[in-house]
Amino acid sequence: MKETTPIDEKQINAAPLKSFFVSMLTRDIDLEDSILDLLDNCVDGILRSRPDEGNQPYYGYKAEIRLEKDLFLISDNCGGIPWNLHKYAFRMGRDPERQSDAPGLVGYYGIGMKRAIFKMGRNCSISTKNINHQYQVEITQDWLQDEYTWDLPVKNINWKGKDGTIIKITNLYSNISKQFEENSKKFTANLERIISTHYAIIIEKGFEIKINNQIVVPRTTKLVFDSHQLEQTGIRPFIFKTITSDNVDVFLAVGFWRPPPSENEINEEKESTKYSSMDAGWTIVCNDRVVVFCDRSELTGWGEAGVPRFHNQFIAISGVVEFRSKDPGKLPTKTTKRGLDSSAPIYLQVKNKMREGMKIFTDYTNKWKGREDESKKQISKGENLPLREIRQKSEKLSMNTTSRTVIPGEQYRPNLPKPELPESTARRISFVKENIKIKKVAAYFGDSSLDPSDVGEKCFDLVYQEAK
Amino acid sequence: MAGPSYHMRINKAADRFSLIEIIKRLPKLKNNLDEYTYYGFGGPFLEDMRLIYEFYPEIRMISFEEIRKVFLRQKFHIPCGPEQLTLENCNVTNFIDNLESTDEKSIFWLDYTDLDLICFTDFEKLLNKLSQGSVIKITIRADPRDYWIIPKNIENRRQKSRMIENFRRIFGEYLPRPSAVPSWKSEDFAYLLQEMMQIVVQNSLSADITNLTFYPISSFYYSDSTWMFSITGIIWPRTDFEAVEDAFKDWEFKNLVWNRPIHIDIPNLSTKERLHLQKHLPRERPRGPVLRAEMGHLIDEDIIRTEYALEQYAAFHRYFPYFLRGIP
Repeated sequence: MKETTPIDEKQINAAPLKSFFVSMLTRDIDLEDSILDLLDNCVDGILRSRPDEGNQPYYGYKAEIRLEKDLFLISDNCGGIPWNLHKYAFRMGRDPERQSDAPGLVGYYGIGMKRAIFKMGRNCSISTKNINHQYQVEITQDWLQDEYTWDLPVKNINWKGKDGTIIKITNLYSNISKQFEENSKKFTANLERIISTHYAIIIEKGFEIKINNQIVVPRTTKLVFDSHQLEQTGIRPFIFKTITSDNVDVFLAVGFWRPPPSENEINEEKESTKYSSMDAGWTIVCNDRVVVFCDRSELTGWGEAGVPRFHNQFIAISGVVEFRSKDPGKLPTKTTKRGLDSSAPIYLQVKNKMREGMKIFTDYTNKWKGREDESKKQISKGENLPLREIRQKSEKLSMNTTSRTVIPGEQYRPNLPKPELPESTARRISFVKENIKIKKVAAYFGDSSLDPSDVGEKCFDLVYQEAK
Repeated sequence: MAGPSYHMRINKAADRFSLIEIIKRLPKLKNNLDEYTYYGFGGPFLEDMRLIYEFYPEIRMISFEEIRKVFLRQKFHIPCGPEQLTLENCNVTNFIDNLESTDEKSIFWLDYTDLDLICFTDFEKLLNKLSQGSVIKITIRADPRDYWIIPKNIENRRQKSRMIENFRRIFGEYLPRPSAVPSWKSEDFAYLLQEMMQIVVQNSLSADITNLTFYPISSFYYSDSTWMFSITGIIWPRTDFEAVEDAFKDWEFKNLVWNRPIHIDIPNLSTKERLHLQKHLPRERPRGPVLRAEMGHLIDEDIIRTEYALEQYAAFHRYFPYFLRGIP
């Protein structure tokens, strides 16, 4: 048996390596998401300095993003980083001792700002003013390469203007610099698209975001709501609302945002993609931030428990779920804040309601298939309303209360129009003819731009008149 | 498309001739013209094939035409032998889908009459398949009236917002400012389409995956009754912009850095007027006032418009076709 060598050490070093945070942590997040993390910090700054609710809680607050070949800059007037938070704000990870300093903050894990900085470049200055303190913290390439020094230099500065923060990152990594220069059109457009959807509610509530001097306009989901004679049939969304035992406020609405597509439209889309973007699917919002936008997968209940898989015939269906909590740890989000924690119990409970609501509209679409003109008329009676207006309208609806179900709450199940003719007496006729011939027959009926399905129907009606 | 017949559109003729000018400069980039194959739509009279054969007989040509009766008409108008020009009765998207990536050099003219998502996706696919030194010209409908109306009442306003929403749904992936309402002035709309093309380029030839990029060489917008936008560029190493700059530095209509497209708006002039003006050309800008003085009469509503029209004529006079009555 070989002799063993005794170990002299009493302890071994298990301290994290700085390079791990710098190179590994940043791989878990896209560049766009890391910029959104910085915007999240702006919004948290607003909530810290003015945590009042109301319709426009973010009014007067701004964030400007500048993207250049060797510069990323974000400046805001959102209250700055309080000096008493410096020991948390600049550390990696959340100190378990740290208490929440304002309700509803989304920053929870303590990595967003640092991860964004490390993702982009080797040099950074963070200048901030909050009430009586104005200071600047610098991160340099030397600091990043030094595995043993964790302290960052800080100095007083003279700050002019409202309380806020400026984060300036230079000496960008070449892959980041490429996005801001050679790929700038694509990157900027994509960033704007993400901000306009993921920050839609916050922007609608008054926050102003600019990218390279261009104001971002919010893009929200709007559902058709027929306000006439609420007790009768009409196109309105399915609505569910509750406050859970954990004090999470949930509001869900699903319905139509446009008329269901005609068969022709579906066929055209099959042959070649006609639209590059669609508003169909589920949007999930946590404390005003959109964490999932227009999802059409199993994540949001499509293709599960009796709900059909998403197909182009369902492009008219859209839904929104809003989760709101003073404790962000109760929300079904991941560390990236744009990811949904689909296994969170609260989400699984609400998902049942999402499927229940969605099924009403997939059924309607199937029932009215082939009679899209009629359903178009029904939908045109309503108007497209944003979620906050649907919330207001829901006050006037007669809601059913459930208390012994998986998720107790109040819900409104719309009474959607049903086709008058029983489906079994009607049969679909479809056939394929050359385009040029269809146009010729359409011209015979007096309008060469007639839809092929209309041409077919007119031909049938003509012959039927003779035959009967 | 309504308007004058295909081969008699004077602004389009200038745009077409600009391609001839670009091909002329390709040897400056150490490209032999006999290495190239030209692919184009040709139309019933194979106008661009006729022109390319006339100037560059060493370039092989392939025409794709989807409509059978136009294809048969093309066979009648073929300007050269089949060893030089192949006529294909096929759809351009299928043609691109089936095109194998090759090191051979190509000149593609995607000459669409409409504005559809497929124009952008075809261009995107093609950028990925063609080799360094290949030239792509893409022409698309650029008529803002397709997506915009003047709102006169509530119904109009609703219709307008529906049209804008529809535009966003179709082209959202390629819009440079996806959340903004686009400007519907012809020149702004043409520039928007150019920015969308730039996004296609950055998608397809992204700086993080390849050193090849698509440098624009020229971009124009014009109307021969319908607004069109046309951009031509070359697939070339990102790090060798100087070579492209050098090859096209002497060309008046170059647009190498994605500047706003140039307006082609050639005035209608009689042969007699043209021959008179031609005696005073070429000359340095501004040419409008000098030509107006030489002409002695107005050719448009007032002095400003006349001088603008004559400036346009001076710029494009070499590309301006003569339409003469002949004995068949």
